[in-house]
Amino acid sequence: MKKTLLVIRREYMTRVRKRSFWVMTILVPLMLAVLYAVPIYLAMKPLEKAVVLVADESGLFGGLDPSEMQLDESRFASTPEVEYRYAATYDYAVRQMNEDDNITAILYIQRRASDAIPTDACLYYKRDLPPSNVRLDVDKQLTHILRNRLLMAHDISGDEYNLITNTKINLRTQDLETGRDAFLEVKTGLGIILAILIYMVIFAFGSQVMRGVVEEKTNRIVEVIVCSVKPFQLMMGKVVGIVLVGLTQCALWMALTGIALTAIQASNPDMFRHATEKHNITEIATKGSEATNQMEASAELADIPRIVEGISAIDFGTIVPVFLFYFLFGYLLYGTLFAAAGALCDNDTDTQLFSLPLTVPLLATILLLPALTNAPSGTLSQVLSIVPFTAPMAMMLRVPFGVPLTQLYWSMGLLVVTCPLCTWLASRIYRRTILRYSRRKKR
Amino acid sequence: MILEVQHIEKNFGKYRALDDVSLNIAEGSVFGLLGPNGAGKTTLIRLINKIYEPDKGTILLDGHPLSDSDVTQIGYLPEERGLYKKMRVGEQALYLAQLKGLSRKETTRRLKQWFERLEIMEWWNRPVESLSKGMQQKVQFVVTVLHEPRLMIFDEPFSGFDPVNTAMLKREIMTLRDGGATIVLSTHNMSSVEELCDSIALINTSKVVLHGNVRDIRQSYRSNRYEVVVAGDGDITMPEGYRLLADKDLGNERQLHIAVPEGGDSGELLGALLPQCRVVSFREVLPTMNDIFIKTVTHTKS
Repeated sequence: MKKTLLVIRREYMTRVRKRSFWVMTILVPLMLAVLYAVPIYLAMKPLEKAVVLVADESGLFGGLDPSEMQLDESRFASTPEVEYRYAATYDYAVRQMNEDDNITAILYIQRRASDAIPTDACLYYKRDLPPSNVRLDVDKQLTHILRNRLLMAHDISGDEYNLITNTKINLRTQDLETGRDAFLEVKTGLGIILAILIYMVIFAFGSQVMRGVVEEKTNRIVEVIVCSVKPFQLMMGKVVGIVLVGLTQCALWMALTGIALTAIQASNPDMFRHATEKHNITEIATKGSEATNQMEASAELADIPRIVEGISAIDFGTIVPVFLFYFLFGYLLYGTLFAAAGALCDNDTDTQLFSLPLTVPLLATILLLPALTNAPSGTLSQVLSIVPFTAPMAMMLRVPFGVPLTQLYWSMGLLVVTCPLCTWLASRIYRRTILRYSRRKKR
Repeated sequence: MILEVQHIEKNFGKYRALDDVSLNIAEGSVFGLLGPNGAGKTTLIRLINKIYEPDKGTILLDGHPLSDSDVTQIGYLPEERGLYKKMRVGEQALYLAQLKGLSRKETTRRLKQWFERLEIMEWWNRPVESLSKGMQQKVQFVVTVLHEPRLMIFDEPFSGFDPVNTAMLKREIMTLRDGGATIVLSTHNMSSVEELCDSIALINTSKVVLHGNVRDIRQSYRSNRYEVVVAGDGDITMPEGYRLLADKDLGNERQLHIAVPEGGDSGELLGALLPQCRVVSFREVLPTMNDIFIKTVTHTKS
């Protein structure tokens, strides 16, 4: 045991002291922080105000009579980002654009042949393409004004319109006995995240174990070590040492990301407050005062409380320990097998060849994800979540939906039984092959 | 006897790597383990180190069967040796010695002694990959003997060393022996066997074909030849039954190789020569270990 601890210590210390470990440990939270801060920073940074000249020959967008002030509803409204100016004719607009470099684009709407509704408008630019926010704003206001015109023409009130367009039936899935909501989407999402997490952990740590074994074998130190340590101790020391490194890194990631995000917010609290306020202003300004837009916005927002509600309905008290269990045993199962595969290799290029069969069960589960999430309690899901090699992933997909305890116990029990069997098998392969080198290399 | 190997058999699949191998190693001696490539030397060494288990037979250390805790009494320098390339020299030596059961404090003390003695102290904090092959071998040697094992096994210890370092290593091995340790030397370097070893075992095609004291073995292979250097260039008449095998001109002197017949003796030869010429030197030619090795191996092959 003391020797295994020494091996664990070495595996841990040499990895933690590597420069690459710290580079990754610092880089990942930094990247997350940047990903978080940059969009806010960009949103806060005042954009150059764009000027759009509206040459409306149709008259539907307030172009024919600039004095027609009461028809504010049918005119383009300037926003903090885009200023709209009216030009009487297209030719006049072109002349102005040639004289004034500040003009971003000309919005030209052709004369109507009859009373028909125009379906075509063109945004002319010179040299620089108008920014996408300008194009989006123009498009939005065009549709909005036109819609209001149509509503008026057909004598439909805003309320009636909202009633029609916002009709939505909220389909819920509920448990007949408890009456509780199923929150299918939230649970499916959570299941997929957990399963993929398990996959990544097993794969990343497993290949680390494998590479460690190959390293010892190719530089031949293993013969010196197996004189003092049993191959089994060496293998287990490596498997445990590496998972400890992984856990350390995850813990550091979480801590550093937290620190980085708080630091960003603390260093410039104004930036974040402004960013949100500004966002609100633009929303209101561009969407206008209509109830229609407010309803649209609230419809989008309505999902968020539902997700929150869904998350709060999830039984984390069960999921967290189950996750830890499958993470630990899944890693142990695969980690030792990866070690055995490493012992079979003669060099680094062999590792890919030998790791492929090991990852097949995991890859298969990934490929079957759609089928599994479609029916989390179906036969396929049940089988895969009981077979020890696929259970860590398949069970994590199912757990958020609730799994019958007997199935959970069967799955866990089989995994617990398979683990030492696999470890035994792996240590046998490891012991027998770690000192064997294929002859072809020597020739 | 510190080590007794008794009727060991070891198979790898259908291949029999060792077949009824028995040998004894006396405490405080230098023992040569000889044999051509692939004879089974490394397998035997791994069995002694408990890396492998024998299929048949037993290995006794101090008269009791080898147990797991005995590994602390054995130091092994494999032929194909390596170190963790990225680890620092001192740290690595510490780790390997701790695996042999030494405390950290004691290891550090001994390591410093050894490093100072071999004048490699400045390597302590260097990563192993920055050392040359010979330098790495010095570190490996120190690691092998650091826990002061009673039985030390060196597999081809001289390969890769320059003459200065080879001499240094030989000196260190003799010092260890004088300190009471038993040394097992597996090597193809026959002159070092003659120089260092008290007794040997020659393994060929999985079997021990020659085992015993080096002097006795050489005596048993004696062919009753004498090398005589004489002055003068007159004809020399051989006594009845004695044959002159070679007559080499060394300038002022001549070197003669003479075969003494069965029942003859060196005194008779010398007595016959003295009246004829001036004898400068007179010695019996014993076969070298190299000759014996080649002879035995080719003999067992045929």
